[in-house]
Amino acid sequence: MRLSDEEIRRMTLAAIAELGKDAGPDEIKKVVMNSVSKLDMNQTSSMEGDSGRIILTSFGLNKTGVVAAITKIISEIEGDILDLSQKIMQDFFTMIMIVDISESPAGFKDLHDALTAEANRLGIKIYLQHEDIFRRMHRV
Amino acid sequence: MQYDFNEILSTIRMTEIEHFDIRTVTLGISLRDCFDRNVKVASQKVYDKILKYGEKHVRLAQEVELQYGISIANKRVSVTPISIPFDAFNHEQFLQIAETLDRAAAEIGIDYIAGYSALVQKGFTKGEIELIKSIPDALASTKRVCSSVNVASTKAGINMDAINMMADVIKSTAEKTKDRDSIGCAKLVVFANAVEDNPFVAGAFHGVTEPEIVLNVGISGPGVVLDAVKEAGKTNFQNLAEVIKKTIFKITRAGELMGREVAEKHGIDFGIVDISLAPTPAEGDSIADILMAMGIEDVGAPGTTAALAMLNDSVKKAGLMASSAVGGMSGAFIPVSEDMGMIRAVEKGHLSLEKLEAMTAVCSVGLDMIAVPGNTSASTIAGIIADESAIGVINDKTTAVRIIPAFGKSVGDTVDYGGLLGKAPIMPVSTLSSEGFVSRGGRIPAPMRSLTN
Repeated sequence: MRLSDEEIRRMTLAAIAELGKDAGPDEIKKVVMNSVSKLDMNQTSSMEGDSGRIILTSFGLNKTGVVAAITKIISEIEGDILDLSQKIMQDFFTMIMIVDISESPAGFKDLHDALTAEANRLGIKIYLQHEDIFRRMHRV
Repeated sequence: MQYDFNEILSTIRMTEIEHFDIRTVTLGISLRDCFDRNVKVASQKVYDKILKYGEKHVRLAQEVELQYGISIANKRVSVTPISIPFDAFNHEQFLQIAETLDRAAAEIGIDYIAGYSALVQKGFTKGEIELIKSIPDALASTKRVCSSVNVASTKAGINMDAINMMADVIKSTAEKTKDRDSIGCAKLVVFANAVEDNPFVAGAFHGVTEPEIVLNVGISGPGVVLDAVKEAGKTNFQNLAEVIKKTIFKITRAGELMGREVAEKHGIDFGIVDISLAPTPAEGDSIADILMAMGIEDVGAPGTTAALAMLNDSVKKAGLMASSAVGGMSGAFIPVSEDMGMIRAVEKGHLSLEKLEAMTAVCSVGLDMIAVPGNTSASTIAGIIADESAIGVINDKTTAVRIIPAFGKSVGDTVDYGGLLGKAPIMPVSTLSSEGFVSRGGRIPAPMRSLTN
């Protein structure tokens, strides 16, 4: 289960708003713990690789329209770009995106194929990897 | 951003430049329920069972490769040591089982299936003798079947009769596959203290204490460690150990994740992650190069054994921290033919069989993929296996011998198999005789476990 303190705090505030000012601390705690445990169950019933977040990395010679071309494909499959970061060093660009495709009707493979074709057209490299690999390798 | 730019780029660099891949996902299948008096029925049971569990293996592994952008070099299958369920069979019947394994492996699209094996460290059953004697024919008549025989253990001692038998089997296998550089011997491993959950073919088998079906994963990644060691530059050993451990930690985590994912897709239990550093003949994917980056001029120089010991120990420490399911061999492999750096060192005359033997005392697995002259006598090969077994038995570790007495070849020649098996220059072997020693037969008693000096 990966709930941050901040998320739990927000849930608690939401519970307080819902229950009204009269609710005692015990009651609020009960409601929050209840929802957390429900979340827990949902989380364990699906496998770890199903968070639906993927990391897209692309490199190449900088040219106009690269970001537009990539984001267009992502929007076509209804992927949600959660974060984007780009660096340009001399003529080269590197761009990393976190994309959520859990709501997408297309699968990982469709996106992969579409992006590979686009990468070949643009003469750049695009790598697509499930987020879990980074979490496992870089977080203890 | 949740992940640092450099973290993401370092992962990409590992897979794209440093040859990081998962070396193998190996499906272990129990064949203990496949016996039948009628060998045709037994063969059908074996075939059906391998297909039932293995049919989707390659496809599922490919899905996981795509998902994480990390390639899985080999998809393989290991089975119960064939001598155990089919102990009642004779030579001819065992060959039919070998043929069935080969056919099943071809059908599910894998290159090797391992487990044409017997565990005879303490003694033989009739079926085990039949199986061992059938190994040369089995390896000559099939393409994908791999065989291993355990001849010694710390608890049982060293079965010299088995070693002598295996020396003859190796010689005969070399002759029977002489038209292809004695390739049969590359698929035959003689073990001391064999492990039951080893995912690495040719020595893999699905041990008798293993479950019905299990998925084990073997990681790789010498190239990644090599770059990390190079990058560390001239630093002391504590710092160097730290650098190696950090790298191995990441590799192990990735390996376990991918193994678990493949197992999950199969709907079966995940077994272990074997954290062995396994080289490939690709340039830069070499254990020898790591040892050189650590500061020795070439493999074989004084200091080589210490460097390897430290590398191996760091690999284990980091692997154990990264995963709670570490098993198999879990060390560093030093096969000659599969490692460009090792091949170079042998060609230059820097690395001898004797130095390699010393190196095997501090790493997994043993004298691996060593080509020797075709006229090396069976008693000399038995002596080499006995020495290697002694190292394993006394040090309570796995050791193995995969030796190729290349038929019709001598020092200066090379055997070349291409692909992952690579190529090996023929190494000189001592011409002093071991005959009087190995021909005593019987069993070298199990060692004591105290006063360990």
